[in-house]
Amino acid sequence: MKANQPGEIIQPLNPADYFTLAMDDEIRRENMPGSLCGFALQLDKAPDIEQLSCRIDEFILQFPLAVARLQEHGKRFYWCTREKPEPIFFQHCCPESESDDSFQRSTIQNIMNHAEAREITAPIEFHLISGQNSHCFLLRWIHPFCDARGIDLILKYLCTDTKVQRELFDSPKAEALINGQLDKFKWWQKVYLFIKANRYINKLDRYQSILHGQYLQVPQRLVALTQLFTEQETAVITQQARQHCGLTGTSLYYIGCLMRALQELEPNQPGEAYCVPYAFNLRKQKALNPVLGNHIGALFAQAPKHLLHDRALLFSHLKQQNAQVMRQQLDYAFLPVMWAASWLSLKKHGAELRKSYKNGSERSSFWFSDIGQIHFEPNCFFNSDITDVFHFTQVSSPPGLALLCCLYRKQLTVSYSFNEPLFSETWITQLHTKMAQELLGQTQ
Amino acid sequence: MKQLIRAFIFEEILFIPEPAKFSDDDNLIEAGLDSMGIMRLVMFIEDKFGVTLPDAEIDPDNLHSFNALEQWVLRHKS
Repeated sequence: MKANQPGEIIQPLNPADYFTLAMDDEIRRENMPGSLCGFALQLDKAPDIEQLSCRIDEFILQFPLAVARLQEHGKRFYWCTREKPEPIFFQHCCPESESDDSFQRSTIQNIMNHAEAREITAPIEFHLISGQNSHCFLLRWIHPFCDARGIDLILKYLCTDTKVQRELFDSPKAEALINGQLDKFKWWQKVYLFIKANRYINKLDRYQSILHGQYLQVPQRLVALTQLFTEQETAVITQQARQHCGLTGTSLYYIGCLMRALQELEPNQPGEAYCVPYAFNLRKQKALNPVLGNHIGALFAQAPKHLLHDRALLFSHLKQQNAQVMRQQLDYAFLPVMWAASWLSLKKHGAELRKSYKNGSERSSFWFSDIGQIHFEPNCFFNSDITDVFHFTQVSSPPGLALLCCLYRKQLTVSYSFNEPLFSETWITQLHTKMAQELLGQTQ
Repeated sequence: MKQLIRAFIFEEILFIPEPAKFSDDDNLIEAGLDSMGIMRLVMFIEDKFGVTLPDAEIDPDNLHSFNALEQWVLRHKS
Protein backbone atom coordinates (compact mmCIF):
# COMPACT_ATOMS: atom_id res chain seq x y z
CA MET A 1 0.00 0.00 0.00
CA LYS A 2 1.48 3.37 -0.97
CA ALA A 3 1.03 6.05 1.63
CA ASN A 4 1.08 9.74 0.80
CA GLN A 5 -1.67 11.42 2.86
CA PRO A 6 -1.12 12.29 6.55
CA GLY A 7 -2.74 9.67 8.76
CA GLU A 8 -2.82 7.14 5.95
CA ILE A 9 -2.12 3.55 6.91
CA ILE A 10 1.31 2.32 5.82
CA GLN A 11 1.29 -1.09 7.46
CA PRO A 12 -0.63 -3.10 10.07
CA LEU A 13 1.17 -4.68 13.02
CA ASN A 14 1.98 -8.39 12.91
CA PRO A 15 1.14 -10.75 15.83
CA ALA A 16 4.68 -10.54 17.27
CA ASP A 17 4.47 -6.71 17.08
CA TYR A 18 1.27 -6.93 19.18
CA PHE A 19 3.16 -9.08 21.69
CA THR A 20 5.67 -6.24 22.16
CA LEU A 21 2.96 -3.56 21.96
CA ALA A 22 1.14 -5.22 24.86
CA MET A 23 4.33 -4.93 26.91
CA ASP A 24 4.69 -1.30 25.78
CA ASP A 25 1.21 -0.74 27.17
CA GLU A 26 2.04 -2.48 30.45
CA ILE A 27 5.12 -0.27 30.93
CA ARG A 28 3.11 2.86 30.10
CA ARG A 29 0.47 1.88 32.69
CA GLU A 30 3.28 2.15 35.26
CA ASN A 31 3.86 5.76 34.13
CA MET A 32 7.09 4.78 32.43
CA PRO A 33 7.87 5.64 28.76
CA GLY A 34 6.84 2.34 27.13
CA SER A 35 8.97 -0.26 25.42
CA LEU A 36 11.96 1.95 24.57
CA CYS A 37 15.14 0.06 23.77
CA GLY A 38 18.65 1.29 23.11
CA PHE A 39 21.62 -0.05 21.18
CA ALA A 40 24.76 2.03 21.79
CA LEU A 41 28.06 2.04 19.95
CA GLN A 42 31.15 3.44 21.62
CA LEU A 43 33.33 5.04 18.94
CA ASP A 44 37.07 5.72 18.98
CA LYS A 45 36.65 9.13 17.38
CA ALA A 46 34.01 11.44 15.96
CA PRO A 47 32.36 9.97 12.86
CA ASP A 48 31.88 11.90 9.62
CA ILE A 49 28.63 13.61 10.63
CA GLU A 50 27.70 14.83 7.16
CA GLN A 51 27.93 11.32 5.72
CA LEU A 52 26.08 9.86 8.69
CA SER A 53 23.28 12.38 8.34
CA CYS A 54 22.96 11.66 4.58
CA ARG A 55 22.86 7.90 5.27
CA ILE A 56 20.08 8.37 7.83
CA ASP A 57 18.11 10.43 5.29
CA GLU A 58 18.54 7.64 2.77
CA PHE A 59 17.44 5.10 5.39
CA ILE A 60 14.23 7.07 5.94
CA LEU A 61 13.56 7.08 2.20
CA GLN A 62 14.05 3.32 1.97
CA PHE A 63 12.14 2.66 5.23
CA PRO A 64 9.37 5.27 5.59
CA LEU A 65 8.09 3.46 8.68
CA ALA A 66 11.03 5.08 10.51
CA VAL A 67 9.12 8.37 10.59
CA ALA A 68 5.62 6.90 10.94
CA ARG A 69 3.49 6.84 14.05
CA LEU A 70 1.41 4.18 15.73
CA GLN A 71 -2.31 4.75 15.53
CA GLU A 72 -5.28 2.79 16.78
CA HIS A 73 -8.17 2.16 14.37
CA GLY A 74 -10.98 0.28 16.05
CA LYS A 75 -9.35 -2.57 17.93
CA ARG A 76 -6.25 -2.75 15.70
CA PHE A 77 -3.05 -0.76 15.48
CA TYR A 78 -1.34 0.51 12.34
CA TRP A 79 1.76 2.42 11.34
CA CYS A 80 0.46 5.63 9.75
CA THR A 81 2.05 8.62 8.07
CA ARG A 82 2.61 11.78 10.14
CA GLU A 83 1.27 15.18 9.19
CA LYS A 84 4.78 16.56 9.48
CA PRO A 85 7.81 14.28 9.68
CA GLU A 86 9.84 15.05 12.80
CA PRO A 87 13.67 14.93 12.83
CA ILE A 88 15.06 11.64 14.10
CA PHE A 89 18.80 12.42 14.17
CA PHE A 90 20.04 14.42 17.16
CA GLN A 91 23.48 15.58 18.29
CA HIS A 92 24.41 16.15 21.92
CA CYS A 93 27.69 17.92 22.77
CA CYS A 94 29.24 17.71 26.20
CA PRO A 95 29.71 21.11 27.85
CA GLU A 96 33.25 21.90 29.01
CA SER A 97 32.08 21.95 32.62
CA GLU A 98 31.08 18.28 32.54
CA SER A 99 33.09 15.09 32.13
CA ASP A 100 32.52 13.00 29.00
CA ASP A 101 31.47 9.93 30.99
CA SER A 102 28.97 11.70 33.16
CA PHE A 103 27.50 13.56 30.17
CA GLN A 104 27.17 10.40 28.09
CA ARG A 105 25.57 8.52 30.95
CA SER A 106 23.07 11.24 31.84
CA THR A 107 22.20 11.86 28.17
CA ILE A 108 21.49 8.19 27.53
CA GLN A 109 19.39 7.99 30.69
CA ASN A 110 17.40 11.06 29.70
CA ILE A 111 16.76 9.62 26.24
CA MET A 112 15.77 6.22 27.61
CA ASN A 113 13.45 7.82 30.18
CA HIS A 114 11.82 10.35 27.89
CA ALA A 115 8.08 9.75 28.07
CA GLU A 116 5.72 10.73 25.26
CA ALA A 117 2.30 9.57 24.15
CA ARG A 118 2.50 6.43 22.03
CA GLU A 119 1.05 8.29 19.04
CA ILE A 120 3.86 10.87 19.24
CA THR A 121 6.87 8.66 20.03
CA ALA A 122 9.20 8.29 17.04
CA PRO A 123 9.64 4.61 16.13
CA ILE A 124 13.40 5.13 15.98
CA GLU A 125 15.83 7.92 16.81
CA PHE A 126 19.56 8.28 16.23
CA HIS A 127 21.63 10.16 18.80
CA LEU A 128 25.28 11.13 18.53
CA ILE A 129 26.66 11.98 21.97
CA SER A 130 30.03 13.72 21.68
CA GLY A 131 32.54 14.72 24.32
CA GLN A 132 36.15 15.86 24.21
CA ASN A 133 37.47 12.31 23.96
CA SER A 134 34.43 10.10 23.89
CA HIS A 135 31.85 9.52 21.18
CA CYS A 136 28.76 7.37 21.41
CA PHE A 137 26.09 6.62 18.81
CA LEU A 138 22.77 5.52 20.29
CA LEU A 139 19.84 4.02 18.42
CA ARG A 140 16.67 4.37 20.47
CA TRP A 141 13.66 2.45 19.19
CA ILE A 142 10.28 1.25 20.37
CA HIS A 143 9.78 -2.46 20.28
CA PRO A 144 6.71 -2.70 18.07
CA PHE A 145 8.86 -1.07 15.34
CA CYS A 146 11.48 -3.82 15.21
CA ASP A 147 13.37 -6.37 17.28
CA ALA A 148 17.06 -6.49 18.29
CA ARG A 149 18.07 -8.35 15.13
CA GLY A 150 16.31 -5.66 13.09
CA ILE A 151 18.35 -2.99 14.85
CA ASP A 152 21.52 -4.93 14.11
CA LEU A 153 20.46 -4.94 10.43
CA ILE A 154 19.77 -1.19 10.53
CA LEU A 155 23.28 -0.60 11.91
CA LYS A 156 24.74 -2.83 9.22
CA TYR A 157 22.74 -0.85 6.67
CA LEU A 158 24.17 2.43 7.99
CA CYS A 159 27.70 0.99 7.89
CA THR A 160 27.41 -0.38 4.33
CA ASP A 161 29.32 1.86 1.96
CA THR A 162 27.88 1.01 -1.44
CA LYS A 163 24.34 1.87 -2.42
CA VAL A 164 23.91 -1.36 -4.36
CA GLN A 165 24.76 -3.34 -1.21
CA ARG A 166 22.42 -1.18 0.90
CA GLU A 167 19.58 -1.90 -1.50
CA LEU A 168 19.94 -5.60 -0.69
CA PHE A 169 18.57 -4.91 2.81
CA ASP A 170 14.92 -5.93 3.17
CA SER A 171 15.00 -7.44 -0.29
CA PRO A 172 12.92 -9.28 -1.31
CA LYS A 173 10.21 -7.75 0.82
CA ALA A 174 9.04 -10.53 3.14
CA GLU A 175 5.79 -10.75 5.06
CA ALA A 176 5.85 -11.23 8.82
CA LEU A 177 7.74 -14.47 9.48
CA ILE A 178 5.34 -15.49 12.22
CA ASN A 179 2.55 -15.57 9.61
CA GLY A 180 4.78 -17.62 7.28
CA GLN A 181 5.44 -20.12 10.08
CA LEU A 182 1.75 -20.33 10.97
CA ASP A 183 0.87 -21.00 7.32
CA LYS A 184 2.87 -24.24 7.54
CA PHE A 185 0.30 -25.70 9.93
CA LYS A 186 -3.23 -26.85 9.08
CA TRP A 187 -5.95 -25.22 11.20
CA TRP A 188 -6.37 -28.26 13.45
CA GLN A 189 -2.61 -28.40 13.98
CA LYS A 190 -2.72 -24.76 15.06
CA VAL A 191 -5.48 -25.60 17.53
CA TYR A 192 -3.36 -28.48 18.86
CA LEU A 193 -0.31 -26.19 19.18
CA PHE A 194 -2.45 -23.62 20.97
CA ILE A 195 -3.62 -26.25 23.47
CA LYS A 196 -0.04 -27.49 23.93
CA ALA A 197 1.17 -23.95 24.66
CA ASN A 198 -1.59 -23.42 27.21
CA ARG A 199 -0.72 -26.69 28.96
CA TYR A 200 2.93 -25.65 28.97
CA ILE A 201 2.12 -22.28 30.58
CA ASN A 202 -0.12 -24.00 33.14
CA LYS A 203 2.81 -26.25 33.98
CA LEU A 204 5.13 -23.25 34.39
CA ASP A 205 2.57 -21.60 36.64
CA ARG A 206 2.62 -24.48 39.13
CA TYR A 207 5.49 -22.61 40.77
CA GLN A 208 5.26 -19.09 42.10
CA SER A 209 8.09 -17.07 40.58
CA ILE A 210 10.82 -15.52 42.73
CA LEU A 211 11.08 -11.73 42.43
CA HIS A 212 13.87 -9.55 43.76
CA GLY A 213 14.45 -6.02 44.95
CA GLN A 214 11.67 -3.84 46.31
CA TYR A 215 9.27 -5.29 43.77
CA LEU A 216 6.15 -3.75 45.28
CA GLN A 217 7.46 -0.22 44.75
CA VAL A 218 6.33 1.98 41.88
CA PRO A 219 9.03 2.42 39.21
CA GLN A 220 10.39 5.94 38.76
CA ARG A 221 13.25 5.69 36.31
CA LEU A 222 15.19 3.24 34.17
CA VAL A 223 18.90 2.97 34.95
CA ALA A 224 21.50 0.85 33.18
CA LEU A 225 24.76 -0.65 34.29
CA THR A 226 27.14 -2.20 31.78
CA GLN A 227 30.06 -4.51 32.50
CA LEU A 228 32.64 -5.65 30.00
CA PHE A 229 34.68 -8.81 30.45
CA THR A 230 38.23 -9.02 29.09
CA GLU A 231 39.08 -11.36 26.22
CA GLN A 232 40.73 -13.73 28.67
CA GLU A 233 37.72 -13.73 31.02
CA THR A 234 35.37 -14.18 28.08
CA ALA A 235 37.35 -17.23 26.94
CA VAL A 236 36.91 -18.73 30.42
CA ILE A 237 33.17 -17.95 30.39
CA THR A 238 32.77 -19.52 26.93
CA GLN A 239 34.63 -22.62 28.07
CA GLN A 240 32.45 -22.86 31.21
CA ALA A 241 29.28 -22.40 29.15
CA ARG A 242 30.43 -25.11 26.73
CA GLN A 243 31.28 -27.45 29.60
CA HIS A 244 27.98 -27.02 31.44
CA CYS A 245 25.49 -26.33 28.67
CA GLY A 246 27.14 -27.53 25.47
CA LEU A 247 27.38 -25.80 22.14
CA THR A 248 23.67 -24.96 22.12
CA GLY A 249 23.24 -23.59 25.62
CA THR A 250 25.23 -20.35 25.99
CA SER A 251 22.09 -18.30 26.66
CA LEU A 252 20.95 -20.87 29.22
CA TYR A 253 24.34 -20.56 30.91
CA TYR A 254 23.92 -16.78 31.30
CA ILE A 255 20.37 -17.24 32.60
CA GLY A 256 21.39 -19.94 35.09
CA CYS A 257 24.28 -17.82 36.35
CA LEU A 258 21.97 -14.87 37.02
CA MET A 259 19.47 -17.13 38.80
CA ARG A 260 22.24 -18.34 41.10
CA ALA A 261 23.68 -14.84 41.63
CA LEU A 262 20.23 -13.51 42.61
CA GLN A 263 19.64 -16.41 44.95
CA GLU A 264 23.04 -15.90 46.55
CA LEU A 265 22.36 -12.21 47.08
CA GLU A 266 18.82 -12.53 48.45
CA PRO A 267 18.26 -16.16 49.46
CA ASN A 268 15.08 -15.52 51.42
CA GLN A 269 12.89 -13.94 48.77
CA PRO A 270 9.45 -15.53 48.58
CA GLY A 271 8.62 -17.75 45.62
CA GLU A 272 9.37 -21.27 44.50
CA ALA A 273 11.21 -20.98 41.18
CA TYR A 274 12.91 -18.61 38.76
CA CYS A 275 11.03 -18.18 35.53
CA VAL A 276 12.71 -16.29 32.70
CA PRO A 277 11.17 -15.49 29.31
CA TYR A 278 13.44 -15.11 26.32
CA ALA A 279 12.84 -14.61 22.64
CA PHE A 280 14.30 -16.46 19.70
CA ASN A 281 14.52 -15.17 16.17
CA LEU A 282 12.51 -16.57 13.29
CA ARG A 283 14.80 -15.04 10.65
CA LYS A 284 17.39 -17.21 8.95
CA GLN A 285 20.92 -16.50 10.17
CA LYS A 286 22.66 -13.85 8.03
CA ALA A 287 19.42 -12.95 6.25
CA LEU A 288 19.08 -9.25 5.35
CA ASN A 289 15.28 -9.38 5.49
CA PRO A 290 12.89 -8.57 7.01
CA VAL A 291 14.49 -5.51 8.63
CA LEU A 292 11.46 -4.01 10.37
CA GLY A 293 8.79 -5.62 12.53
CA ASN A 294 9.19 -8.29 15.19
CA HIS A 295 9.95 -11.82 14.03
CA ILE A 296 10.31 -13.72 17.25
CA GLY A 297 8.97 -16.62 19.20
CA ALA A 298 9.05 -16.94 22.99
CA LEU A 299 10.48 -19.54 25.34
CA PHE A 300 10.86 -19.84 29.10
CA ALA A 301 13.66 -21.10 31.29
CA GLN A 302 12.40 -22.18 34.70
CA ALA A 303 14.29 -23.64 37.64
CA PRO A 304 12.86 -24.52 41.07
CA LYS A 305 14.74 -23.16 44.07
CA HIS A 306 15.99 -26.56 45.24
CA LEU A 307 18.13 -26.98 42.10
CA LEU A 308 20.00 -23.71 42.50
CA HIS A 309 22.57 -24.82 45.05
CA ASP A 310 24.28 -27.14 42.57
CA ARG A 311 25.66 -25.61 39.35
CA ALA A 312 25.91 -28.89 37.48
CA LEU A 313 22.37 -29.90 38.44
CA LEU A 314 20.93 -26.51 37.53
CA PHE A 315 22.53 -26.33 34.08
CA SER A 316 21.67 -29.92 33.31
CA HIS A 317 18.04 -29.16 34.24
CA LEU A 318 17.91 -26.01 32.08
CA LYS A 319 19.44 -27.84 29.15
CA GLN A 320 17.07 -30.79 29.40
CA GLN A 321 14.11 -28.46 29.74
CA ASN A 322 15.14 -26.60 26.61
CA ALA A 323 15.65 -29.83 24.64
CA GLN A 324 12.22 -31.09 25.74
CA VAL A 325 10.59 -27.84 24.67
CA MET A 326 12.17 -28.10 21.23
CA ARG A 327 11.37 -31.81 20.86
CA GLN A 328 7.72 -31.13 21.66
CA GLN A 329 7.66 -28.14 19.27
CA LEU A 330 6.62 -25.94 22.18
CA ASP A 331 8.73 -23.13 20.72
CA TYR A 332 6.37 -22.98 17.75
CA ALA A 333 3.37 -23.59 20.00
CA PHE A 334 3.48 -19.97 21.14
CA LEU A 335 2.99 -18.68 17.60
CA PRO A 336 -0.77 -19.41 17.41
CA VAL A 337 -1.07 -18.05 20.95
CA MET A 338 0.59 -14.83 19.79
CA TRP A 339 -1.76 -14.66 16.82
CA ALA A 340 -4.86 -15.22 18.98
CA ALA A 341 -3.68 -12.79 21.67
CA SER A 342 -3.25 -10.04 19.09
CA TRP A 343 -7.07 -9.82 19.02
CA LEU A 344 -7.30 -9.16 22.76
CA SER A 345 -7.35 -5.69 24.27
CA LEU A 346 -3.82 -4.55 25.15
CA LYS A 347 -4.71 -4.68 28.84
CA LYS A 348 -5.92 -8.29 28.65
CA HIS A 349 -3.01 -9.25 26.38
CA GLY A 350 -0.52 -7.74 28.85
CA ALA A 351 -2.10 -9.59 31.76
CA GLU A 352 -1.98 -12.89 29.83
CA LEU A 353 1.72 -12.35 29.16
CA ARG A 354 2.65 -11.38 32.69
CA LYS A 355 0.36 -12.96 35.23
CA SER A 356 0.39 -16.53 36.46
CA TYR A 357 -2.80 -18.43 35.53
CA LYS A 358 -2.66 -20.03 38.96
CA ASN A 359 -2.43 -17.10 41.34
CA GLY A 360 -2.17 -13.90 39.29
CA SER A 361 1.36 -13.13 40.48
CA GLU A 362 4.12 -11.97 38.13
CA ARG A 363 5.43 -14.85 36.00
CA SER A 364 8.85 -13.41 35.04
CA SER A 365 11.68 -13.23 37.57
CA PHE A 366 13.69 -11.09 35.16
CA TRP A 367 13.80 -10.38 31.43
CA PHE A 368 16.63 -11.73 29.32
CA SER A 369 18.02 -11.17 25.86
CA ASP A 370 21.15 -12.61 24.28
CA ILE A 371 22.05 -10.63 21.18
CA GLY A 372 24.85 -13.11 20.46
CA GLN A 373 27.93 -12.38 18.35
CA ILE A 374 27.99 -8.91 16.84
CA HIS A 375 30.38 -8.18 14.03
CA PHE A 376 31.51 -4.84 12.64
CA GLU A 377 34.53 -4.28 10.41
CA PRO A 378 37.29 -1.97 11.74
CA ASN A 379 36.59 1.73 11.08
CA CYS A 380 33.28 0.89 9.41
CA PHE A 381 31.24 3.58 11.17
CA PHE A 382 31.78 6.66 9.00
CA ASN A 383 35.56 6.50 9.44
CA SER A 384 35.43 5.72 13.14
CA ASP A 385 35.92 2.37 14.84
CA ILE A 386 33.25 0.75 17.02
CA THR A 387 35.12 -0.18 20.18
CA ASP A 388 32.24 -1.38 22.40
CA VAL A 389 28.57 -2.24 22.05
CA PHE A 390 25.96 -2.14 24.81
CA HIS A 391 22.19 -2.26 25.20
CA PHE A 392 19.25 -0.96 27.20
CA THR A 393 15.61 -1.87 27.53
CA GLN A 394 12.64 -0.58 29.42
CA VAL A 395 11.16 -3.34 31.52
CA SER A 396 7.83 -3.76 33.31
CA SER A 397 7.75 -3.68 37.12
CA PRO A 398 7.84 -6.22 38.57
CA PRO A 399 10.28 -7.73 37.72
CA GLY A 400 11.96 -4.36 36.97
CA LEU A 401 15.19 -6.06 35.94
CA ALA A 402 16.57 -7.19 32.57
CA LEU A 403 19.86 -8.79 31.59
CA LEU A 404 21.14 -8.17 28.05
CA CYS A 405 24.24 -9.97 26.78
CA CYS A 406 26.33 -9.70 23.64
CA LEU A 407 29.74 -10.73 22.36
CA TYR A 408 31.79 -8.23 20.42
CA ARG A 409 35.42 -8.72 19.40
CA LYS A 410 35.78 -11.74 21.70
CA GLN A 411 34.56 -9.77 24.72
CA LEU A 412 31.34 -10.42 26.61
CA THR A 413 29.25 -7.40 27.59
CA VAL A 414 26.51 -7.78 30.15
CA SER A 415 24.11 -4.87 30.51
CA TYR A 416 21.65 -4.66 33.38
CA SER A 417 18.59 -2.50 32.81
CA PHE A 418 16.69 -1.90 36.03
CA ASN A 419 14.02 0.30 37.48
CA GLU A 420 14.66 2.55 40.46
CA PRO A 421 13.63 2.43 43.26
CA LEU A 422 12.94 -1.32 42.90
CA PHE A 423 16.70 -1.76 42.50
CA SER A 424 19.59 0.56 43.29
CA GLU A 425 22.92 0.86 41.52
CA THR A 426 24.68 -0.40 44.66
CA TRP A 427 22.50 -3.51 44.70
CA ILE A 428 23.07 -4.17 40.99
CA THR A 429 26.83 -3.74 41.46
CA GLN A 430 26.73 -6.37 44.22
CA LEU A 431 24.67 -8.58 41.95
CA HIS A 432 27.22 -8.20 39.15
CA THR A 433 30.07 -9.21 41.47
CA LYS A 434 28.24 -12.46 42.17
CA MET A 435 27.24 -12.83 38.52
CA ALA A 436 30.88 -12.47 37.41
CA GLN A 437 31.93 -15.20 39.85
CA GLU A 438 29.18 -17.44 38.50
CA LEU A 439 30.05 -16.80 34.86
CA LEU A 440 33.73 -17.43 35.48
CA GLY A 441 32.98 -20.67 37.32
CA GLN A 442 34.45 -19.46 40.59
CA THR A 443 31.60 -20.92 42.68
CA GLN A 444 30.53 -24.46 43.44
CA MET B 1 20.47 -37.76 3.34
CA LYS B 2 22.84 -34.88 2.66
CA GLN B 3 20.39 -33.33 0.20
CA LEU B 4 17.60 -33.36 2.78
CA ILE B 5 19.85 -31.77 5.41
CA ARG B 6 21.04 -29.17 2.90
CA ALA B 7 17.47 -28.30 1.96
CA PHE B 8 16.42 -28.00 5.61
CA ILE B 9 19.35 -25.76 6.55
CA PHE B 10 18.98 -23.44 3.56
CA GLU B 11 15.19 -23.23 3.83
CA GLU B 12 14.88 -22.88 7.58
CA ILE B 13 18.10 -21.86 9.27
CA LEU B 14 20.77 -20.18 7.18
CA PHE B 15 20.60 -17.50 4.55
CA ILE B 16 23.21 -18.17 1.87
CA PRO B 17 22.89 -16.02 -1.27
CA GLU B 18 23.85 -18.89 -3.59
CA PRO B 19 23.29 -22.21 -1.80
CA ALA B 20 24.48 -24.23 -4.81
CA LYS B 21 27.94 -22.72 -4.39
CA PHE B 22 28.12 -23.78 -0.73
CA SER B 23 30.12 -27.02 -0.82
CA ASP B 24 29.69 -30.02 1.45
CA ASP B 25 33.01 -29.12 3.09
CA ASP B 26 32.30 -25.41 3.65
CA ASN B 27 32.11 -24.33 7.28
CA LEU B 28 28.52 -24.11 8.51
CA ILE B 29 29.43 -22.52 11.84
CA GLU B 30 31.39 -19.74 10.16
CA ALA B 31 28.42 -19.32 7.81
CA GLY B 32 26.24 -18.48 10.83
CA LEU B 33 24.82 -21.74 12.21
CA ASP B 34 24.05 -20.69 15.79
CA SER B 35 22.88 -22.52 18.93
CA MET B 36 19.16 -22.28 18.15
CA GLY B 37 19.84 -23.41 14.58
CA ILE B 38 21.87 -26.38 15.84
CA MET B 39 19.04 -27.43 18.16
CA ARG B 40 16.54 -27.26 15.31
CA LEU B 41 18.89 -29.17 13.03
CA VAL B 42 19.44 -31.95 15.59
CA MET B 43 15.67 -32.27 16.15
CA PHE B 44 15.11 -32.40 12.38
CA ILE B 45 17.74 -35.11 11.87
CA GLU B 46 16.47 -37.22 14.78
CA ASP B 47 12.93 -36.95 13.52
CA LYS B 48 13.72 -37.53 9.84
CA PHE B 49 16.31 -40.30 10.09
CA GLY B 50 15.17 -42.05 13.27
CA VAL B 51 18.44 -41.62 15.14
CA THR B 52 19.30 -40.28 18.57
CA LEU B 53 22.22 -37.89 18.56
CA PRO B 54 23.77 -37.69 22.05
CA ASP B 55 23.99 -34.19 23.57
CA ALA B 56 27.63 -34.80 24.44
CA GLU B 57 28.45 -35.16 20.74
CA ILE B 58 26.92 -31.82 19.75
CA ASP B 59 30.27 -30.17 19.07
CA PRO B 60 31.92 -28.31 16.19
CA ASP B 61 33.72 -31.46 14.97
CA ASN B 62 30.39 -33.07 14.11
CA LEU B 63 28.64 -29.94 12.88
CA HIS B 64 31.14 -27.92 10.94
CA SER B 65 30.15 -29.12 7.45
CA PHE B 66 27.55 -31.19 5.59
CA ASN B 67 30.10 -34.00 5.23
CA ALA B 68 30.83 -33.99 8.97
CA LEU B 69 27.11 -33.99 9.72
CA GLU B 70 26.50 -36.94 7.42
CA GLN B 71 29.31 -38.94 9.00
CA TRP B 72 27.96 -38.17 12.47
CA VAL B 73 24.44 -39.34 11.58
CA LEU B 74 25.73 -42.46 9.83
CA ARG B 75 27.68 -43.46 12.95
CA HIS B 76 24.40 -43.55 14.87
CA LYS B 77 22.27 -45.20 12.20
CA SER B 78 22.06 -48.88 12.90
